[in-house]
Amino acid sequence: MGRFFSLWGYLVLTLFFAGTLAGEAQAQDKVQGSVKIGIMAPTTGPWATEGQDMVKVIEILAEEINAKGGLNGLKVELEIGDDGGSPKTAALAAQRLVTSAVVAVVGTYGSSVTEASQDIYDEAGVVQIATGSTSIRLSEKGLKRFFRTCPRDDEQGRVLADKVKELGFKKPAIVHDNTSYAKGLADETRAIFKKEGLAEVYFDAIIPGDRDFAVALSKIKAQNPDIIVFTGYYPEAGMILRQKKDLGWDVPMVGGDATNNRALVEIAGAEAASGYYFVSPPGPDDMNSPAAVKLFEVYRNKYKELPSSVWSVLAGDAFNVIAEAVTKVGSDSGKIAQYLHADLKNYEGLSGQISFNEKGDRIGEVYRLYRVDPQGKFVLQK
Amino acid sequence: MTKKRKRLFRTLEILGPVLFFCLPFFLEEVDRGPYILDLLSMVGLYALLSLSLNVILGHAGMFHMGHAAFFAMGAYTTANLNLTYGWSIMATLPVAALTSGLMALVVAWPVIHLRGDYLLIVTIGIVEIVKIALTNDIFGLTGGPNGLISIARPSIFGFGITRPQHFFYLIWVMVGLTMILFYWLENSRFGRALKYIKEDTVAAEGMGINTTAYKLMAFIIGAAWAGMAGTIFASKMRTISPESFSFGESVTMFTIVILGGSGNQKGVILGSFLVMGLPELFRNFEDMRLLAFGAALVAMMIFRPQGLCPPKPSRYRLPSPYDSKYPGGGHC
Amino acid sequence: MAHLVEQLIYGLTVGSIYALIALGYTMVYGVMKLINFAHGELFTLGAYFGFVFLVTLNWGGFFGPAIAIGLTVILVSGLVAMAGHLLERVAYRPLRHSDRLAAVVSALGASIFLQNVIMVVWGSRYRAFNASLLPTVVWQVGGQNIPLIRLFVFLVAVAVMLGLYLFINRTRLGLAIRAAAIDQGAAKLMGVDVSRVIAVVFIIGPALGGLAGLLVGIYYGQINFNMGQIYGLKAFTAAVIGGIGNIPGAMIGGLVLGLLETLGDAYISGAWKDAIAFVALILILVFRPTGILRERVAEKL
Repeated sequence: MGRFFSLWGYLVLTLFFAGTLAGEAQAQDKVQGSVKIGIMAPTTGPWATEGQDMVKVIEILAEEINAKGGLNGLKVELEIGDDGGSPKTAALAAQRLVTSAVVAVVGTYGSSVTEASQDIYDEAGVVQIATGSTSIRLSEKGLKRFFRTCPRDDEQGRVLADKVKELGFKKPAIVHDNTSYAKGLADETRAIFKKEGLAEVYFDAIIPGDRDFAVALSKIKAQNPDIIVFTGYYPEAGMILRQKKDLGWDVPMVGGDATNNRALVEIAGAEAASGYYFVSPPGPDDMNSPAAVKLFEVYRNKYKELPSSVWSVLAGDAFNVIAEAVTKVGSDSGKIAQYLHADLKNYEGLSGQISFNEKGDRIGEVYRLYRVDPQGKFVLQK
Repeated sequence: MTKKRKRLFRTLEILGPVLFFCLPFFLEEVDRGPYILDLLSMVGLYALLSLSLNVILGHAGMFHMGHAAFFAMGAYTTANLNLTYGWSIMATLPVAALTSGLMALVVAWPVIHLRGDYLLIVTIGIVEIVKIALTNDIFGLTGGPNGLISIARPSIFGFGITRPQHFFYLIWVMVGLTMILFYWLENSRFGRALKYIKEDTVAAEGMGINTTAYKLMAFIIGAAWAGMAGTIFASKMRTISPESFSFGESVTMFTIVILGGSGNQKGVILGSFLVMGLPELFRNFEDMRLLAFGAALVAMMIFRPQGLCPPKPSRYRLPSPYDSKYPGGGHC
Repeated sequence: MAHLVEQLIYGLTVGSIYALIALGYTMVYGVMKLINFAHGELFTLGAYFGFVFLVTLNWGGFFGPAIAIGLTVILVSGLVAMAGHLLERVAYRPLRHSDRLAAVVSALGASIFLQNVIMVVWGSRYRAFNASLLPTVVWQVGGQNIPLIRLFVFLVAVAVMLGLYLFINRTRLGLAIRAAAIDQGAAKLMGVDVSRVIAVVFIIGPALGGLAGLLVGIYYGQINFNMGQIYGLKAFTAAVIGGIGNIPGAMIGGLVLGLLETLGDAYISGAWKDAIAFVALILILVFRPTGILRERVAEKL
């Protein structure tokens, strides 16, 4: 019996694989009169929140377009590729998307994940618009069809350093979390501090996913800084604020755009979060363009909450500029890229005006300084 | 098993791989061909890794859950030699094997005597330490959390390996060669010694087998192979970063070996298809895809606790009337 | 070496949570020789059940913090224990007589499954506990800051562990567990109902893990669906450091790991602190191959 089962098991498995592969191969039935746009997003894995929000936002926008009759009469079809937050999965997701006849791809979030997919899109000639990948070198490779709606680390580092200086702080302590985003931002900020003659008194990493930062805080305190610059993400920032208060230490803290998330206040508590600064593109609460207001209304009705961060909104922007380009120049990738480089000027996006430079980076000042007030609200400064 | 079925089985066994190697010709025609080829290449890469882990885990019976450490060593060796010194990828292949093997020697030497689960946690520790070292840009060689980019594509005698079907052949030919080599190894004096050590270390020691040396050797061979897989991975992805070498990757390889049937090469290949393939096939479930995969893993273990194709018990020919009492186990 | 007392207290708090989770690993291992890789997910489940009671249903507002937390502790332990029992039934019992590694892979599968169930049910977002649930009092003793709540977390963990220790050493059921851990077959012959012992172990272990999850949620204020991975791995490490299968060993291992991490972070480097902990683990095992307290299982030859 053992042999019998194995033999048939083997056959069944082979057939199963062959069948599904055949299914996969033909999955791409081109519906006449539609235009396919890919989304590469981490809908599973450690960054699943961001990925799922990205998809939700874009789905709402696509539905809206389709309800109005599509782009030049073509229905928008979305093809979602989960990158799992891992470069390996991303490479497969990208290959799957480019072979599904997408005209352009929105995504993705993590810089190293985007990096693993760039070549594949470039070789296939598909336009890619990254939405949360802020690492500088992504747009320094000379890829003609790579764009991003998020600003770069050096831009944010510059604003962060400027604001710290403007606020009159002299002895910053820089803390990052060794992810590519946070490390990049920390390095940029540090470099600019140095240029401006501001020496940091502390520079070290915490471990993302950790929950206890008491030791790090006591080490930082020993250096007696007048401000903590934290370049990591909101879950850690929230806990640092909370534990800082537990230690009875009231040094101010400033962070980057990854801390622009209301959960920060929930985690820290309004009292501990009060006085916290961060620089960020305007968050969902402050995006008052009519398009954004409308999007958030639909989003709230559908999911009972707002997108948790600005990144998914930037994904919405990426989708919108693709839609805009398709309306103007049709669904040829090369023309879309050309249009985005040369002809798209000050497009009214969800997060403000959008134009791209020759590297595909977004032009314009997007960063604002925020401060948390005692009620836990994010208040735009000046 | 009747004779007829046996013949059918033999035919399938030969026909299967032949058909498989012809796949690229069919796939060139279909729209998603490159994706499927890339997926199959990824399956092949993990088959390569799992075959190498199989020497350590399946044959020598050492619980090793840190194989990604050696995989990383190979990948970063290749990347550095290629980016800094301009070596061609294929030239870095033996060096990657060497550095990974050396690393295995250094880290395994002090811990090789540990029993089962203690060895397991130590190897997990090793892979975590390696990942932290990579993230912290150790010796300025790893590029920190961003990793290294723009690694060259391999070329063989001037023929550039660039397209998905090229990688498909490169990887699966390596898998084939590895299978032949390891099959030979398994049935050599060395392989028999490992089998003995796995079944009963004390008895093996008693028979005069230097168990430490043999275990260490198995570790080094497995690690060297993982290093070469690292070379291929680096040149296929063209960018490597610490995320690709996490504890989770080690767990994936471990799962492949046990699920397939620890010690059996065909089982390992089948395991690679399932573990790498199922999450891709479940893509339509969107955020439920890993949930389905986890449930499938539990179900498969419950229904096939020995793995999908457990190895046949070895039979060493002796003129004995009891021989026929021990028929082969599961057949794949 | 400034603030050494502070650092020690931080280490003990972190370590006592590791120890609570490690107990689940070690008890299951002791009786079944199984590394329950899904234990970390049971820990996460505890945190999320706590979230349901304290945040979604806002019991703190109804009953006042003290009663709410008390009730939640009881309910969460009970619910996670049920989940653990179910897990054993579905994923491990069919494999009890199979190869050990089969059960390990089943455990890995169960871990992936549970983690994604949690993600689908509660969403992938970070969830926050109400920060005002616990008062913050900081003692200043000789220039050292000692948050009272940390001492509280530590004392709760120690009390639970002490209770468990007494249970294992002073009751008949505890005796049965110890017997099954040493030799299942012999225990069976002596009239121990091994199935029941396994069931009990799979109730106590997850209950403690769930409790740890709840403590983490309340104290640190933030939970997410994959938090069990890191805690699970650390706790497993702790169990091995102490000598896996050994209950006092898990407690000591947890505290040692907590202290190692904290001191490594404080006096060497934050970015390398986990690596320091793992190097220490390897060194401990090189010199004491079966952990600090030796595994209480006869060496099988």
